Amino acid sequence: MRRILAQARKDVTQLLRDRLALALAAVLPVVLTALLGTSISLTVTDIPLVVQDLDQTPLSRRYVDAYRSSLTFRVVSLPIATSPEAAIASGRARGAVILPEHFAREIQRGRVAEAQLLVDGTDTNTALLVRGGAGQITRAFSRQLSGAGDTGAIRTATRLWFNPGREPRKFYGPGMLVLALSIFPTVLAALAMSREGEQQTILQVYVSSISVHEFLLGKILAGVVIGIAQWLLVSGLMFTLFGLRLAGDPTPLVAGSLLFLFCVVTFGTLVGGAIPNQAAAVQGVSLGGFLLAFLLSGLIFPIENIPPSLSWISSLVQARYYIVIVRDAFLQGGGWPAVWWAVSMIGVIGAVYYAFAWLAMRRMQVKA
Amino acid sequence: MRERLGRLFGGRFWALTRKELRQIRRDRRLAMSLVVPPMLQVLLFGFALDSHVRDLRLGVVDDSRTYESRELISAITENQTFRLAGTYHTSNELERALAVGRLDVGVVVPYDFARRQARGRPVTVQVLLNAANANTAQISQGYVEGAVAWLNARTPDGAPSPTPEAGTGGEVVEPPGMMRARVEVRPTFLYNPGLVNTWFIVTGVFGTLIILNGSLVAGATMIREKERGTVEQLLMTPASALEVVAAKIIPLFVLLMGMVGLVLTLARVVFHVPFRGSLLLVVVACGFCVLTGIGIGTFLSTVSRSANQTQLIGFFVNPPLAMLSGALTPIEAMPHWVQPVTLLNPIAHFASVARAVLVKGAGVDVVWPQLLALAVLATGLVAVSAWRFRSQLS
Repeated sequence: MRRILAQARKDVTQLLRDRLALALAAVLPVVLTALLGTSISLTVTDIPLVVQDLDQTPLSRRYVDAYRSSLTFRVVSLPIATSPEAAIASGRARGAVILPEHFAREIQRGRVAEAQLLVDGTDTNTALLVRGGAGQITRAFSRQLSGAGDTGAIRTATRLWFNPGREPRKFYGPGMLVLALSIFPTVLAALAMSREGEQQTILQVYVSSISVHEFLLGKILAGVVIGIAQWLLVSGLMFTLFGLRLAGDPTPLVAGSLLFLFCVVTFGTLVGGAIPNQAAAVQGVSLGGFLLAFLLSGLIFPIENIPPSLSWISSLVQARYYIVIVRDAFLQGGGWPAVWWAVSMIGVIGAVYYAFAWLAMRRMQVKA
Repeated sequence: MRERLGRLFGGRFWALTRKELRQIRRDRRLAMSLVVPPMLQVLLFGFALDSHVRDLRLGVVDDSRTYESRELISAITENQTFRLAGTYHTSNELERALAVGRLDVGVVVPYDFARRQARGRPVTVQVLLNAANANTAQISQGYVEGAVAWLNARTPDGAPSPTPEAGTGGEVVEPPGMMRARVEVRPTFLYNPGLVNTWFIVTGVFGTLIILNGSLVAGATMIREKERGTVEQLLMTPASALEVVAAKIIPLFVLLMGMVGLVLTLARVVFHVPFRGSLLLVVVACGFCVLTGIGIGTFLSTVSRSANQTQLIGFFVNPPLAMLSGALTPIEAMPHWVQPVTLLNPIAHFASVARAVLVKGAGVDVVWPQLLALAVLATGLVAVSAWRFRSQLS
């Protein structure tokens, strides 16, 4: 135990002395989380839309006004002698509403009046939002036309749980916390470990009386301590910038965070131990830590959509489970019944990484 | 003129270029890192990333248990968006399932659903949505309301028309025909009618790959001279600083354009991205993008002292560059103060060129502002980094 603490103290001191690394370790997670958490979103508001009103009647203008007043769309003027398709092709608009001649007359005759909607399909998600928004506006307009409020036999009363304002940052903020914690503690741990290899100080470890477990646990403890500091800094952002509160029982979050930090730091140590070259180790971590955490964890793109042939990779990514825990703690508040499986999966993955690190270091000797 | 050209290719410049080419050819890891990771990344991104909202787990409490209520449920679950994941006896059970994340959407049908409908009275169906993911919530809300609206539009034919009932209390003075009036919107998806998501992802990832790999490779080769102290030797050759820098950039450019060719082939053959516009235009944009990447890498290598510093700084520059580019998430969804910043991001310009040309089939008349921006960024970055590289030489 004493040797573990000594090893940990040595590694923390080493980081504290390296001013540049210390600054990077403290500032970058916060900056990255703040910047990306507020900027990343799939939900576009203010989508530019052009309108071609071939009818030019009070009724058709009322319909267009419904688009003008919505928050989803921003009606931009269609330049003279330009077709709506050209406006979409040039990227001036994401969609176009075309009202045919006799739009108002069809309505007055009690027929179904059709408005055409052209949507730029290059960004598929935005295209779906455009279609959904136009549908809602049109239904509301029909309802308004046909009299006092709802005439439809069935109404829906929709309640939005956990994020009633549908604020994207409340969803992506916790995700970026996970991303920051998958990158920075991992990189620091990998650097600390590969430095021993690069500067040959690992030989001193080999000849000392410290055992593999003591050495590894000391290194990991140091990494986890630094990781906790980063976690506290970034969590501070969750409460201030992202306006989140703990939704329920905080113990799964605490347990999950500690296990997750153990997991990523062990991963970093493993990579750093396997690649005794700092530059290459960072590259390895960027591939394993950043790319996988970013891609296959459900951070932006739902995991359910990953084809089955690839989704098994995703179940090996620790960030995928931690994201569930963090989102549950800040938004859903389901507590242990909701996330026990995620916490235990992180524990299992961490143990596997530790076993690999131990195997790699086991012989504690110079590779021939 | 010819003499000058001859001197250029016969002389020092060519010799230096040959030296660089040989050095790159001997460096197996560099060659590998140019081919393997981009291929893997394009394949992985292209297959795995899909923002489509589908297969949401729907839970139902059907207190009505009638033909009408089952029809409502089947109308909602008919498309791919929702998948019936369970039926519950009470709304409490449903809410608990929603809270622990076993469901994404819950629908509660009241016990008098069919009766009220038969009498032409309005009836309210409760929809509970897990809105933690704002995007999914918005799209799925649209789907549920669309399905209900479709049912509503159909109902008057079978059941007694509910409209007079609603009209009685109203102050509607329009003729009765007005009541049944409906406006429908007919959406048409241009350029990508099947809404194939990979086209969006692959065209976005393309630029990210060029910039990231370009800067990585350029940084690695530039810093090597510095670390090994061979900059001194370059200084002692009769070649001018400009020749040294150009000889370093050109082989890299050729190599990276080879990578571009591979990625383009993958996009066409594996992901069936339609190449609607001129391929030449895309290749020109790729060229500018490669130069920008080389510029970034060279610049990073001149500000840092060792290879791992270059790597580390690159690690901190690249994620924001990749994510604030509109390559994967729309720029319009970013906060207003971030949007102008993306004008400095080469990946953003490249993604819009690639999408406009490959998917929309646009020509120079449409994409010239982005091309111009890319050209400016490329020349600016290469000039600055060449100047910095030269200043270390002197």
